[in-house]
Amino acid sequence: MNETLKQAKSILVSLKMTVVLLALSIVLIFWATLDQVNLGVWAVQHKFFHSFIVTARVGTLQVPVFPGGYVIGGLLLANLVAGHLYRFKLGWRKAGIWITHLGLILLLVGELISGLLQKDFQMRIDEGETKNYAESSRQNEFAIINATDPATDEVTAIPESLLSKGTVVQNPSLPFRVVPKAYYPNASIQMRSQVPNAPPSLATSGMGTMLAVTPMEVTYKEDERNVPAAFVELVGPDGSMGTWVVSPLLGNPQTFDFAGKTWKLAMRPKRMYEPYSLKLIKFSHDLYPGTDIPKNFSSRIQINPADGSPSREVLIYMNNPLRYAGLTYYQQSFDNNDHTTILEVVRNPSWLAPYIACGAITLGLVVQFLIHLWGFARRRAA
Amino acid sequence: MSPRSRILALAAATLLLSACGDDQVSVYRIPKEKEPELPAAAADQGGQAAPAEPAPGASMADTAVPTASGDGLSWQAPAGWAQKPAGAMRKASYSVPGSDGDSDLSVTAFPGDVGGELANVNRWRGQIALAPLSAEELDGAVTRVDQGGLKVTLVELSSAGDPKNKAILGAIIPFGGATWFFKLSGPGTSVKAAKPAFLDFLHSVHPQ
Repeated sequence: MNETLKQAKSILVSLKMTVVLLALSIVLIFWATLDQVNLGVWAVQHKFFHSFIVTARVGTLQVPVFPGGYVIGGLLLANLVAGHLYRFKLGWRKAGIWITHLGLILLLVGELISGLLQKDFQMRIDEGETKNYAESSRQNEFAIINATDPATDEVTAIPESLLSKGTVVQNPSLPFRVVPKAYYPNASIQMRSQVPNAPPSLATSGMGTMLAVTPMEVTYKEDERNVPAAFVELVGPDGSMGTWVVSPLLGNPQTFDFAGKTWKLAMRPKRMYEPYSLKLIKFSHDLYPGTDIPKNFSSRIQINPADGSPSREVLIYMNNPLRYAGLTYYQQSFDNNDHTTILEVVRNPSWLAPYIACGAITLGLVVQFLIHLWGFARRRAA
Repeated sequence: MSPRSRILALAAATLLLSACGDDQVSVYRIPKEKEPELPAAAADQGGQAAPAEPAPGASMADTAVPTASGDGLSWQAPAGWAQKPAGAMRKASYSVPGSDGDSDLSVTAFPGDVGGELANVNRWRGQIALAPLSAEELDGAVTRVDQGGLKVTLVELSSAGDPKNKAILGAIIPFGGATWFFKLSGPGTSVKAAKPAFLDFLHSVHPQ
């Protein structure tokens, strides 16, 4: 092994490395906590923990300033594994430490998988309403709906990210190309008559010709939402069919006919459809008697399974989520004078990992303690 | 495979895994969904045929975007009003009894200023076939009240000359980054009779 590699190995295995990494993670967590004031929880998680490098703006440049969560977590994991390979010896006297460290490794790997694969959605259901899809509270999609069939709709959903990159989309489901002309991550839309100095609209079809789109600063606040807008041109075999403005602010889809079919355009929160459906039977908002202090929020939900088997009822309340078909439904909020429930829908394939990891760590510590206790007791008896 | 190339392969796989997933166009077929309930705008147009494409002002208020889940308003409805299912767009919905037929009270809230006061007043005027106002005429047509910090803009509209004789009593309240609309609409005489109750109801509106 050459010198550099040997040196790298000894650094990777060293306990000093562990201490430095733990110190860095303390700084990272402290900094991220302070930055929540500016960015809010979600953006902070992405900037500090679900990233390799934390960057800061210096003048007009983004420069790397600190290792992100993936780097620190990944190095901690490598440090721990390397320590086991080169430093620790197998043997029953260290069994507890081995189990504890396995738990730690599982915790780190589980967090990495969560960070990469976890999906957060929301489901708003009114009392008596049945829904089979959840909506993203942050991402949007541009839906082109072929509404020709009287019974079904064929939906082509284009993620917002493709519009923002200006990617031209050509899909077998569409007899035209979708060419993004402009995209604003946050925008306000007003009637043209309200904005006397508005620049000429890019839109040539649909409602966009009457509207003025004004880009706004992106918000990171917890209680605010960015509402994007985009201008998209549809190009058929005979050339441009027009440019439309799309935004979740427009509400109802814009309709047009092309190639003997009826099409609808809408930008809306990204949807995740499920083969089963949920119906809200009742939302309850209990107060402590004689006060306005909430005691409990709960949603009585009917699950209608995909396979047509009989439906069943469940009660979702604080700390008692529904786990169904790989998704977890938490009671998140409510609206509409207590007649609408808002459930948080989370897909996290590694949700069990932290539980198993904490179990293993506890077990490991208990085992190690008992081993020591056993040795101590034997020495005293001797 | 050497240990170094193994680590490189693992890192590459992780990067690939993190890169994919969110950028795919998806195509799926679903049973036709109900169009979202039109706001009071279209609902109370009575027998009139709805325009082929909703007026842009109405469509903007027709947004499916929920109000910022932050602060809301709450209120106390008079005992005689029957609460109706609120539907997708409304915060609350009541049926207000009257001699000439029931009126509809809707509470809606949308992010931002929803086009501004003038556009919304003119939207309501359009619903009962009144000509739109100009910006100069607006101030004379509305009453502004400060109610415990809430800036309430009151509008009273009536198409008295029209045989259908419809009326709207509305209040626009900007609050918490959103605009709240309280609208009582229905037959002219019923709405007129319900005005004191509507004003009492408005007085009960306060931040949650």
